[in-house]
Amino acid sequence: MITMIRILLSVLLCFTFASPALTHPHVWVTMHTELVYAPDGSITGVHHDWAFDDMFSAFATQGLDSKTKGKFTREELAPLAKVNIESLKEYDYFTYVTADGVKTALTDPAPGYWLDYTNQILTLHFTLPFKPPVKAKLLTIEVYDPTIFVDFEWAKDKPARVVNLPHGCKLDVVLPREMTYAEGKALSEIPADSANTTMAWGAQFANKILMHCP
Amino acid sequence: MTPSRRSALVHCALFVLCTLLIVGTIDVALAQPFGASRGGPPPDVGGMTGWIFAKQAAFYRMLSSTIRASKSDGSAAYTLMGISFLYGIFHAAGPGHGKAVISSYLVANDETWRRGIALSFASAVLQAFTAITIVGVAAVLLNVTAHVMGQTVRVIEIVSYALIVLIGLRLLWVKGRALLRLLRPQHHDHHDHAHRDHAYSHDHHGHDHGHHHGNDHAHEHGDEAHAWGHAHALEPSELTGKHWLRRGLSAIVAVGLRPCSGAIIVLVFALAQGLFWIGVASTFVMGLGTAITVAAVATLAVAARGFAGRLVKGKPGGGMILLRGVETAAAVLIIVFGVALLSGYMVSERMVGV
Repeated sequence: MITMIRILLSVLLCFTFASPALTHPHVWVTMHTELVYAPDGSITGVHHDWAFDDMFSAFATQGLDSKTKGKFTREELAPLAKVNIESLKEYDYFTYVTADGVKTALTDPAPGYWLDYTNQILTLHFTLPFKPPVKAKLLTIEVYDPTIFVDFEWAKDKPARVVNLPHGCKLDVVLPREMTYAEGKALSEIPADSANTTMAWGAQFANKILMHCP
Repeated sequence: MTPSRRSALVHCALFVLCTLLIVGTIDVALAQPFGASRGGPPPDVGGMTGWIFAKQAAFYRMLSSTIRASKSDGSAAYTLMGISFLYGIFHAAGPGHGKAVISSYLVANDETWRRGIALSFASAVLQAFTAITIVGVAAVLLNVTAHVMGQTVRVIEIVSYALIVLIGLRLLWVKGRALLRLLRPQHHDHHDHAHRDHAYSHDHHGHDHGHHHGNDHAHEHGDEAHAWGHAHALEPSELTGKHWLRRGLSAIVAVGLRPCSGAIIVLVFALAQGLFWIGVASTFVMGLGTAITVAAVATLAVAARGFAGRLVKGKPGGGMILLRGVETAAAVLIIVFGVALLSGYMVSERMVGV
């Protein structure tokens, strides 16, 4: 009997702890994203404004020279912006795009990226170009860090904008949300021995921009 | 050994290894924020895991507002300590707090749970101390940038991971040889001879000597100290009670040397608010919470090891081999953790260094 309990316990423990992702974000980013289209209806670039949380903003600006204490100009932040952009390259700028279901690579940011520091919040502004521009019936843009060190979330207020919106296209931003009652109920009805528990949680954590075009 | 006992034992051994592997995977996979695979979006987390995940993130975010509030409101400092403590408890489920290394170390060395708790607390305190020293020297005294601080942390990490590999290698040398001796076939030829000698002369037992290696002979005479604590060690004098702390020091340093990036960010933030000492207190309280979680995991591993030990007590043959096998595997795991940390680290940069 004791043996049985032990085995049960060990199996339970394995399942409890074996799930991935037991860390948590150390950096939060609130995003505003702009999709830039050419007049011919192809997308030429994705422009991001990433606002870091207050703790990381304080950390990243630690020890930087500035004329006025506690304030940083765009020029004073330029070296930091360069380091940021160069480090992000290795992680594909955390921006993942598919065009009609096919992964599409973005190129390195165009020059002219910058950081600003307002109300003790650091914001990184940069544009990732498509080379060549892309036309698609369904374009999806996701921004995430698979290691969850950085938590990306689109702003509640005007998360995404489109420049030169092509005729007939429709922008759709899917933000994380609380589970509905029905979803919670469906989740609770999944048998305990079934592995498929991702349904409702997937919806809760979804964080993507969709662009539907005719 | 009856089949049911044997199966219980196998399960127990699996349980020990499973526990170690899991905490290890967590530590290894997540110790490098940017080093892990980019296989897909953040995994969906639910249930207990999702709850822990959500809690620690929530507590971490609360830290910044509470630190701000402490500026004007003294009572917010108490709230901050409470949040720091809870954050530490939940956060230790994350990377860099050495649950895997400490647990494996305890299992491989057959240490007691009390020592496990002591090691957990000592390494957590050291970890808090490292974070405070780095920020204290680098940010307060020298006013260097976050980038320089990141590079400092990087050097410390390499030393820490290399130490973990060294500890693993040393344990593998000791435990692996003990296992090999048990596996040697001629071993059983001596089973019925001279075991009385073993029982009385275990203080001088030499592992290089063909006749003295058989700890499973000895424990049939009830010589538990010989069978469980001492028989498989390299130097008997090193294993007496007084020296466990000195021996454990390597594990404490290897685990505690590497500061937690969360603590560093909190400290720099507190400094920017002109509340460095509040940050220091918060870091130590976080360490206390961390130690509790690590100690709990370590105790679990020690208990499982102890249970496996009791099952094979007085049983010759396979049981001992299995136990030595678990110890050897624990030593190998430490090496694997160390190498993975070291190599995963080498190919990646950290956001904290930005």
